[in-house]
Amino acid sequence: MNARLDPVPAAIPPARAGIGLRAPHYREILATRPDSGWLEVHSENYFRDGRPLWFLERIREHFPVSLHGVGLSLGSAGALDAEHLRQLKNLIERIDPGLVSEHLSWGAVDGRHLNDLLPLPYTAEALGRVCAHIGETQDFLGRRILVENISSYVRWRHDTIPEQEFVAEVALRTGCGLLLDVNNIYVSAVNHGFDPRAYLEAIPGDCVEEIHLAGFDEGATCLIDTHGRRVSEPVWQLYRETIESLGPRPTLIEWDTDIPALSVLLDEAATAQCILENMNAPHAHFRSLPPKGVHASLGAAHREA
Amino acid sequence: MPSLHELQSTFARGLFDPADASVLAHLRGARGMDAAAGFAVYRNSTFSNYRTALREAYPVVLRLVGETFFDQAADGYVRATPSVFGDINIYGDAFGAFLSGCPGARELAYLPDVARLEWACHSAFGAADAQPLDTARLAEVPPEQLDELRFTLHPSASLLDSPWPVLSIWRVNQPDFAGEQSVDLAAGGDRLLVMRRGHDVDLEPLHAAEYALLAALAAGAPLGGAMEAALAEDAAFGLGSSLQRHVAAGTLVDFAIQ
Repeated sequence: MNARLDPVPAAIPPARAGIGLRAPHYREILATRPDSGWLEVHSENYFRDGRPLWFLERIREHFPVSLHGVGLSLGSAGALDAEHLRQLKNLIERIDPGLVSEHLSWGAVDGRHLNDLLPLPYTAEALGRVCAHIGETQDFLGRRILVENISSYVRWRHDTIPEQEFVAEVALRTGCGLLLDVNNIYVSAVNHGFDPRAYLEAIPGDCVEEIHLAGFDEGATCLIDTHGRRVSEPVWQLYRETIESLGPRPTLIEWDTDIPALSVLLDEAATAQCILENMNAPHAHFRSLPPKGVHASLGAAHREA
Repeated sequence: MPSLHELQSTFARGLFDPADASVLAHLRGARGMDAAAGFAVYRNSTFSNYRTALREAYPVVLRLVGETFFDQAADGYVRATPSVFGDINIYGDAFGAFLSGCPGARELAYLPDVARLEWACHSAFGAADAQPLDTARLAEVPPEQLDELRFTLHPSASLLDSPWPVLSIWRVNQPDFAGEQSVDLAAGGDRLLVMRRGHDVDLEPLHAAEYALLAALAAGAPLGGAMEAALAEDAAFGLGSSLQRHVAAGTLVDFAIQ
């Protein structure tokens, strides 16, 4: 058996930027141990034995790791997949992650998985269902999870609750944490014509334990959340405002299509780190700071409601 | 108002059946789009996700048939074959069988077998680890019980028998292959053991008798029966050395006496 090092502690450092760990970068990350506060992986890619899990276990010795699921389908009307939950729990036991997150979406119905992050109707029924599934997941895993707001291209006509209130209510009812995807808020805000700052004001800041940033593509008629580009300028702006009002939160750079050199991800993470440390960011577009104070009560606003 | 289940069921039907537009009555598009345009983004992303997963599992098939044909076949497969797992990495096991029924693929008679080989590799890549067989335990088995031993193969191991030279086809279509690209299709078939050793998947050509031995053991036959199957292929087959080799190499990872 190989001698194993004691891994670094599991906790994700609260004021650090991290990057998504992707297969093309395994060797370089192990060899160079770059200055990334932590790493995040898609849980499902490590459910099975073999090369990816072997690398993740080695990398975990040097970095805190968070697990980010894309396939549990918390929002399905039907039951959760017990086998999927069991595999997730096994992975948690093996990796000792600092955070475990899933999406506030659905992706399975009538025994068929659609393997996508699909929007829920924001109704009382869906709220009850997704909260029950989050509760079931937290009970089974024996730990708190975070849930992430998704981007969307349609709305259900049956919506009765604004998305941000739905997200906030999920956290308050289940005790789960929130993974606030600032890029998703921006993409949906542009697509559906709402004010992203009003969205942020409805989110209970104390529940936000992680932030995601990624790049989108401009489709013919809407923004598409591809995770295939650098973070856009307006999203950096929104992120800065978010950090100013919430205080620092672990922040992840996600990149899933056309994965670039590791140095590009680290460069994006360095920009987030500058904002987290309230330093002058190295990019020209940060010269004009957004007005301060506007969103200072982001957390308090909800508690009063 | 329709139930959550009804809405999700209607959405899913609309994703896979272009003729079923009933979900659109329940949706509003993003600003500047009608519901159909918004829904089309989901249809595109869903099919794109599956195409990507199938391209990763079947890179040689992709090279053999080209992107246009591959994507059409992939979309047809996705419509016909629901994914039953939240983990998309394990979707696509029956793509080879589906290809054999595709009109355009019939000229490439070897294509389904190449696809089966690629799925064996893809599965082996993520199969469970296993501890090596305890040879001390094996040495303690009384000789009169040897025929009754039933062996377990490594979870990543699979055996593949094709009338086509699928190993050569596979090799010349690897991205790092440098050499003569042509394969003599009349060169005869391959019998292969596919399994993960370390992190890499190994493709090992086997002689007929050795293939018969392992295939019988994999099917649950006792050693005595598996030996008969091997000797029927080649009466001079060196059974002992073959067994030793597959124990040492980790092909056989466990046994029971029944």
